[in-house]
Amino acid sequence: MYDFLTGPMFWLSLGICLIGMLVRFVLYFRGLSWQLDRVAYKAYPFQGFKGAVNSIVKWLIPFGTYGWRKQPFMTVIFFGFHIGAVLVPLFLLAHNLFLKEKIGLSLPTLNPLIADVLTWTVIVSAIFLALRRIALPEVRILTTWYDYVILLLAVAPFITGLVARYELGSYTSWLTVHILCGEALLIAAPFTKLSHIVLFFASRAQLGMDYGIKRGGMKGKGMAW
Amino acid sequence: MFKKILFATSATEACDHAARVAFNMAKSYDAQICILHVLGVPTRGFSQVVLDVKTKEKVTLDDEYIAWVEEEIKVHYSKQIATVQNYEIKVVIGLPHREILRAARETAPDLIVMGGSTGDDEDSVYKKSMVGSTLQRVAKVAPCPLLVVNRPAASFWGGMSNVVFGTDFSKASDAAFRFALKLVKALDCELHIFHALDIGSMHLGRSMTQDEIESNLRESLRRIRGRYIPEMKDIPEYDFEVWEGIPYVEIVKYAREKHADLIIMAHHTQKASQEDTRLGSNIEQVIVRAGCPVISINR
Amino acid sequence: MPEGKFCNKKPVETEEELKALLGDTGGKQYYEEMKSLDVDQALLWKTIQNTLKSRMKTWLEICAHCGMCADSCFLYLINDQDPKQVPAYKIQSTLGEIVKRKGKVNNEFMRMVMETAWAKCTCCNRCGMYCPHGIDMGVMFGYLRGLCYQQGFVPWEMKIGAGMHRVYRAQMDVTDEDFVETFEWMVEEYEEDYPGLEVPVDKEGADILYTVNAREVKHYPEDLAEAAILFHLAGENWTVPTSGWEQTSLAMFAGDWAACKMQVEHVYAAMERLKPKRMVGTECGHAHRATVVEGPYWAGRSTGKPPVESIHYVEWLAEALREGKLKIDPSKRLKKPVTLQDSCNYVRNNGLKDITREIMSYIVEPGYFKEMSPNREHNYCCGGGGGFNGIGLFRPQRNKALITKRDQILNVGAEMVIAPCHNCWDAIRDLEEEYKIGIKWSFLKPLVISMVEIPEHLKLQE
Repeated sequence: MYDFLTGPMFWLSLGICLIGMLVRFVLYFRGLSWQLDRVAYKAYPFQGFKGAVNSIVKWLIPFGTYGWRKQPFMTVIFFGFHIGAVLVPLFLLAHNLFLKEKIGLSLPTLNPLIADVLTWTVIVSAIFLALRRIALPEVRILTTWYDYVILLLAVAPFITGLVARYELGSYTSWLTVHILCGEALLIAAPFTKLSHIVLFFASRAQLGMDYGIKRGGMKGKGMAW
Repeated sequence: MFKKILFATSATEACDHAARVAFNMAKSYDAQICILHVLGVPTRGFSQVVLDVKTKEKVTLDDEYIAWVEEEIKVHYSKQIATVQNYEIKVVIGLPHREILRAARETAPDLIVMGGSTGDDEDSVYKKSMVGSTLQRVAKVAPCPLLVVNRPAASFWGGMSNVVFGTDFSKASDAAFRFALKLVKALDCELHIFHALDIGSMHLGRSMTQDEIESNLRESLRRIRGRYIPEMKDIPEYDFEVWEGIPYVEIVKYAREKHADLIIMAHHTQKASQEDTRLGSNIEQVIVRAGCPVISINR
Repeated sequence: MPEGKFCNKKPVETEEELKALLGDTGGKQYYEEMKSLDVDQALLWKTIQNTLKSRMKTWLEICAHCGMCADSCFLYLINDQDPKQVPAYKIQSTLGEIVKRKGKVNNEFMRMVMETAWAKCTCCNRCGMYCPHGIDMGVMFGYLRGLCYQQGFVPWEMKIGAGMHRVYRAQMDVTDEDFVETFEWMVEEYEEDYPGLEVPVDKEGADILYTVNAREVKHYPEDLAEAAILFHLAGENWTVPTSGWEQTSLAMFAGDWAACKMQVEHVYAAMERLKPKRMVGTECGHAHRATVVEGPYWAGRSTGKPPVESIHYVEWLAEALREGKLKIDPSKRLKKPVTLQDSCNYVRNNGLKDITREIMSYIVEPGYFKEMSPNREHNYCCGGGGGFNGIGLFRPQRNKALITKRDQILNVGAEMVIAPCHNCWDAIRDLEEEYKIGIKWSFLKPLVISMVEIPEHLKLQE
């Protein structure tokens, strides 16, 4: 089982994820239409690029935009969740040992203590994200079971990984579950809302181009996001 | 002298005095009278809701409503309408001053008749879109003389015997003078030329010495003699005077003393007063206060 | 009865149809007929497949349902934070649902969609700035309005408005003759005060081609005179076209894209015919957006620009004041608390936020200009945008929406609101009428005229 999951299944899920995401990213931009979107993308590549970068970067900074500043609680749990969700899978020591063994390459690694803290933050933030969905009427009305599934899908590898790390119960079976969850996440990503992992950048870039080209990027001092 | 009269009315009591004068004139000059009523401007250019002038309720504009308003006007003025030969009722949509001017431009009347101010009505149905009353705005640019009847005492156009012409020696006053001359000849009445020396607000806050006042008075009399008297050869009866004071008060006092049936003045303020629309210019004050109709001329 | 006499899928194309539709008081019969109007589901789905491409598809898909857009929507805030007013909910429960059901929606659903699209969104685009994913629900509502229009589910006044553009190429029944005649009349009224004042009609190669809002011609022709006066005093070489002078587009509010294209091409034709150096539009927000910002795309111009450089009145005015073409008498500057209404259509949607403040610095005595909060591209809609002002059916909702702006004005303690946008100006006038807070409101032109110094050679000679 473990061999299958770390062998063919690993390659398969990673492949589906990377290729799927790439396809979605490419399809997104190919599906943009200057006339339907009413943005002259090609006529102003520089202004568009500037707007896109600005639009992405500003939103990647905690409290970097009016929107983030307006909702500090959401900002904290949002970044609490996402920073860990991006850093831990990529830079965890154990993951990179595995990677080194698989492909002979590895990324810089996180201090284990930091990794622990980040993982806990992800889980706690996820709990708050879920509670927020229940507590706030304006979020509750939007929420469907699908949102919880996505949240669970996203947070499951962290929970299982943590359980395995603290060796509660059988390490190997928890590790197997952890890998299973991770691979499920990778496979699901291109086909679900998790596609926002790349489409966030695409969508933000598009609106940035819109503002950079059409809605005043060439007139004022750019947008105060 | 007046073949075509444009009578702009809200068709409410506020205009009844003006109505009396307008219809009297139409009758005595056998003139065509056009009764113009302006509905408010729709709340939004392309929305169709206005407030009813009488009930102040929201109504939706359509042909039916306009026809109904026309009928109401006909009923309101039924007695007077019976006395005139040629009349027409027009109901239009828009800002009153603008629509009155538009109608004046289209039909080129010899005289516009209006009621005085309806007061600073808080819930006026007409959108107060800009400063200045309807009267101010019409008076400023009307293409023909504008006759305003504000007080009930003024609602009379019968045998004219005394016409007061108030002048400030402006170009517009010259035009008003020519009109006064014509009118006096046609009506065969007395002309009283009057100028008021403003000793109120002017002169940088210092009061004039009596010598200055008197020399100014003499100067003004000289100007009247030089400017108007030569043209009045075939006017049998006239007199002229210059008083000092607040111009509009003096004119009203003078008119009362002369038993004036009509005051003719020029309207030549450059701009409708921006800050306080109630103060207005001298002529507006005269209109509000005079015991007889006032004709305003601007060109 | 699938297709009504008035309420149907056919746009208004002729004057007779327009008059007939107008004759249906308040759209009574129109809305009655709407209750039984069929939904052409096949057409709806086909249209969506052809026009709903990756941008909006992705928006609908990746919306994280986080609700961060809620607070950005003034309609959500003013309606006691009703969850049904959350922008994401509004679009997901309408457009999102139509897409999910592949266009298989019924009459009742479409009427709900219509109310949501016109009475719960003014297309102010503010939510787009507060969504982490950059989902602009205002854009989607604009698109949704197009679907509604195609299916005949459109407020009565909007159908009339779009029809006006189709029939008269103007938002009201103002003909080309009316326009020229009114402009000349206005100039006649003012030429005594401003010697040499004129309106150059159809002059080729002028520096400025001036375009207006038909409402000015119809109800507020002083505005035309004021424009002429300021161009005159600034010594501009300007002109107006005999045809193609109408800059607005109610068709845009209605979602009648074909009419939008007709209207804007009509204006562009005037530009191409008269070859001015620039086009200056009047103090109107949606007119600028229709003709300058969105128009080029409707007309298929891949540059995204009109045939000649086109600017909003505030841009011209700021330039004239900056360069000294117009000089303000400092003693006549506004000396009372003044605030400025940022129009969504040219501030959030065209970046003209600083230029209006530059104008304020010239015409308001230092210390008297107060900023509303929020302001600039974060400012709230006046409450009547996107056609909201004009729809009788949704008047109660509109009046409620005005409270946002009322409170913003009250909080800043302004006595006058400068609103260089017809729509905002109307909304602020209406809010004063509705709630009587004792404010004044004004366009820029009359204010500038009241304080501008008249050059020696243009002065009235007594």
